[in-house]
Amino acid sequence: MNTITLPSPVSVPREVALGAVHALPILAGAVPFGLLLGSLAAKAGLTPLDMGLMSGIIFAGSSQFVAVEMWGHGAPGLAVIASVLLVNLRHLLMGATLAPRFQGVPPARAALTLFFMTDEVWALALRRGGQLTVAYWFGVGLTLYVGWLCATVAGTLAGALVADPAAWGLDFTFIAVFLCLLAGLWTGTGALPPWLASAGAALAVHSLLPGGPWHILAGAVAGGAVAAWRGRSATRGPEAG
Amino acid sequence: MDATLFDPALLGVIVAAGLLTWMTRVGGPWLIARVRLGPAANAALEATPGAVLVALVAPAALSRPSDAIAALFVCLIARRVPMALAVALGVLAVVVLRRLL
Repeated sequence: MNTITLPSPVSVPREVALGAVHALPILAGAVPFGLLLGSLAAKAGLTPLDMGLMSGIIFAGSSQFVAVEMWGHGAPGLAVIASVLLVNLRHLLMGATLAPRFQGVPPARAALTLFFMTDEVWALALRRGGQLTVAYWFGVGLTLYVGWLCATVAGTLAGALVADPAAWGLDFTFIAVFLCLLAGLWTGTGALPPWLASAGAALAVHSLLPGGPWHILAGAVAGGAVAAWRGRSATRGPEAG
Repeated sequence: MDATLFDPALLGVIVAAGLLTWMTRVGGPWLIARVRLGPAANAALEATPGAVLVALVAPAALSRPSDAIAALFVCLIARRVPMALAVALGVLAVVVLRRLL
């Protein structure tokens, strides 16, 4: 298992650039949602500075939609904080799968690096497997961070000007990105049982509790349980290429 | 638009929520480093990335026939073309299919 490392000095700019390039299709899908979040925030009474602080400090899209929605309806601060935490609990599972990469990495550096872990950064990092470098991670992470910050603030400034991203099919960007990354984990039919279990659990929970993060946790737990029951790995781990 | 530059009460909420969110990000590797996993738990952890990705997409991808067909299309081309192209073709497919279906 390779630890996430700094590449040799020569290749640092190349790794950063590669990460930024890999982040571009994701950014194209994220920007319209950032604009939409910003316009919702403006309606909820947030100022552009409020929005910028939220995107810069929390940096987790779906939980920010929840926070803006709740704040706009006058929910108590503690309820907003608890909801953001619940939506983001999935990070614990994602981070756990990256643990081998962070073995022996100084805690301060790991803490800073992991601040930028979103669903998308995690998924791209996973795909890089043993070739994952800190430079690549920051290439992806900073591109999405700056883009998200700018898009949400711009959306707040623009107010209600933004159309529905779904009208342009842009909501499908995330589905397509995640499916591509999933295809990279495919190792044959042995990979199917945990995936089917996850899909079934996610669909069932989503129909009962739509909009929440629960279906993600349910799918992860169901898929993990099936894999554990089978007693051996059905899918390749993070070291797969 | 508010006359104020920012809302101090909201900033408190943002800082607390941001701190907790950061802890969920750092917590995974931190916990794993302190817990010894048996083979079953290891198998579960190795299956988790795929299971999380499936759970992330399943409800949206299967929400309507147009999206399900486009999702299947992306799965079929994902390993044959670069990711950016697969994503672009998938979005194009979903736009067309949503008009048709």
